[in-house]
Amino acid sequence: MTAPQRVMVVRCPGLCPPPGAGPGRGAARPFQRALAALAGFCPAVEVTEPGACAFAARGPARHAGGEAALAAKVVAALAGLGVGCRVGVADGLFAAACAARATEGDGTVHIVPPGQAAAFLARLPVSELGDPGLAGLLRRLGLRTLGDFAALPAGDVVGRFGAAGEAAHRLARGRDARQVTARPPDADLSVAWQFDPPEPLAEPVVFAAKALAERMHAGLAGRGLACARVRVQVGWAGGRESSRLWRHDGLLSAVQVADRVRWQLDGDQEAGPGDERADGGITVLRLVPDQVTRATGHQLALWGEPVVSDRAARAALQVQAMLGQHAVLRPLPQGGRNVSEQVTYVTFGIKRQPGLAGGREARPWPGRIPGAAPAVVYPEPPEAAVTDAAGRAVTVTGRCAVSAAPAALAIGGEPPRPVTGWAGPWPLSERWWDPAAASRRARFQLLTGDGRAWLAAVQGGRWLIEAGYL
Amino acid sequence: MPAVPPGAGLLPVLPALRDLLPGGGLARGTVVTVPEFGLLCLALAAGASAAGAWCAIAGIPEAGLAAATGLGLDPGRTLLVPGPGGSWPQVVASLLDGCELVMVRPPSGAPAHVTRRLGARLRRGHGVLLVAGDWPGAQVCLRVAGRDWTGLGRGHGRLRACRALVTAEGRGQAAGPRARWLWLPAEDGSVAVADPGLAPPAGIPALPAAATG
Repeated sequence: MTAPQRVMVVRCPGLCPPPGAGPGRGAARPFQRALAALAGFCPAVEVTEPGACAFAARGPARHAGGEAALAAKVVAALAGLGVGCRVGVADGLFAAACAARATEGDGTVHIVPPGQAAAFLARLPVSELGDPGLAGLLRRLGLRTLGDFAALPAGDVVGRFGAAGEAAHRLARGRDARQVTARPPDADLSVAWQFDPPEPLAEPVVFAAKALAERMHAGLAGRGLACARVRVQVGWAGGRESSRLWRHDGLLSAVQVADRVRWQLDGDQEAGPGDERADGGITVLRLVPDQVTRATGHQLALWGEPVVSDRAARAALQVQAMLGQHAVLRPLPQGGRNVSEQVTYVTFGIKRQPGLAGGREARPWPGRIPGAAPAVVYPEPPEAAVTDAAGRAVTVTGRCAVSAAPAALAIGGEPPRPVTGWAGPWPLSERWWDPAAASRRARFQLLTGDGRAWLAAVQGGRWLIEAGYL
Repeated sequence: MPAVPPGAGLLPVLPALRDLLPGGGLARGTVVTVPEFGLLCLALAAGASAAGAWCAIAGIPEAGLAAATGLGLDPGRTLLVPGPGGSWPQVVASLLDGCELVMVRPPSGAPAHVTRRLGARLRRGHGVLLVAGDWPGAQVCLRVAGRDWTGLGRGHGRLRACRALVTAEGRGQAAGPRARWLWLPAEDGSVAVADPGLAPPAGIPALPAAATG
């Protein structure tokens, strides 16, 4: 094992967003200036979070005459821009970030000597791990400091807490969270194709993408690596650029990568100004593997996700290659008052959003239609005409009074069916606090002479068929 | 691999549907049709999914997944392709490679050469094709011959349960019509066998004695 990397973390508390908030717009510009100033010390500055950045300290420190001297220069440079900062230097990114947080105030520096990272971390609380769930669990187990946690045998930690626990345990012992992979992989493993003269058509570019993807895969496989995502960058002679990340997970074939290049070009054409000549054709296509990890077979099933069978995943990817990524969905049951809201759909292969955690279906949803769920839920409810015995349209007043008993139902342009049973109206007023999303509806269940039952809603004087009990 | 018993070459179905199908399950490599998409389609898929099979639903954007999960369909083992468009035969062929049960409603009539090619693909694999619509050469055709909802009055009540007469006809081993009264759905949202002693509701023809046996 090589000596751990010395890392300097520069933290600008004034530019950090408050916890829970997104990056502030006002802070973005001063932070950009701070980054530009730091680039004078080290060209490869990595932004770790809004308001904080890190870089390898060994080279710049040697140039500046020591880590303390370098830190002093950094503080002075940023102070010149009117930005207060705290600097931490230690072995590894995690220890350096903790050191920067452990400083006493703006303009101060905390340097953890080489080899002392584990001892420095041992005093800190487990909340420094940045995983509230794990930290809470550890506290309940009586492990209050990182030192307590680090003292556990690594094998037991893996057995009890899984891969995420192992990563946290490595951090607590002053090592990097993950085994060191071949570094720097990004620069080495990206592949590019120059088009000279610029290529005005998409087809030859897609063709080149296939050969390019084969080269990228060969480069990754030769080092025993796989990438979680691949970034496709396209440059035009007119200066326009298009860059997008695609999920890869080590599962895509070269043809499938080429398909993603095609979708990106198609999507750009739709979104862009549509004037191909102004762009002057494509000059460069680059594929950059992102989040490179060791190839350990396929990685669709990550921590906490249901395991996707290889065969089903391949079939889904095949269909995605034919129809586009968003053509294959997975259902995710969740609660809701309306039948159309009780299931959301996530694109296959996209990681679950934290907000779509599911499990909300068990909560009470007052106003929900009770009883069995309908088998047919129309994504776009068709309009219907509901008439009474005299042939007049049935209306509902603002106070939920029905003008007459429904006698006939005509869905879309179909011939009317006699209504043999009905119940309602069940009013539902949703999101009245938000004028754009507010909706007031009165729902009915209608039974027609052919034995079918329908869930209808009156909204703004129109009858819509939301679902069918078929 | 999911724990679907491969022994009999059958995909399991919900207990209430067993009597309707030859062998008591969906025979692998065959086509089963239901003329109109509805709860019956979802119930047929739910049993297989609950037993560990992967299911795909293609060309049916209005499929009510909440009802299906209530019947036992596992949403974690379900793929949806709402709009396969004109290339639906290729989509179905791809899905059959990865899923044990593929439910599809062909957007247009299925031409004979397409059904032949997909049929050949089916026989090579282990899947079941469940078609919501017409399919020449289907082994089993299930349909809802009549429905009788309870619980809804004129201006009061709510839909509680539906007693449905489900008939099955088929070829070869599946020949001979079968019919069962089912709760589709029962009051708790499940599918159950309804009491045959209840008189058939008005408007639904009584069954010939041979068919009910």
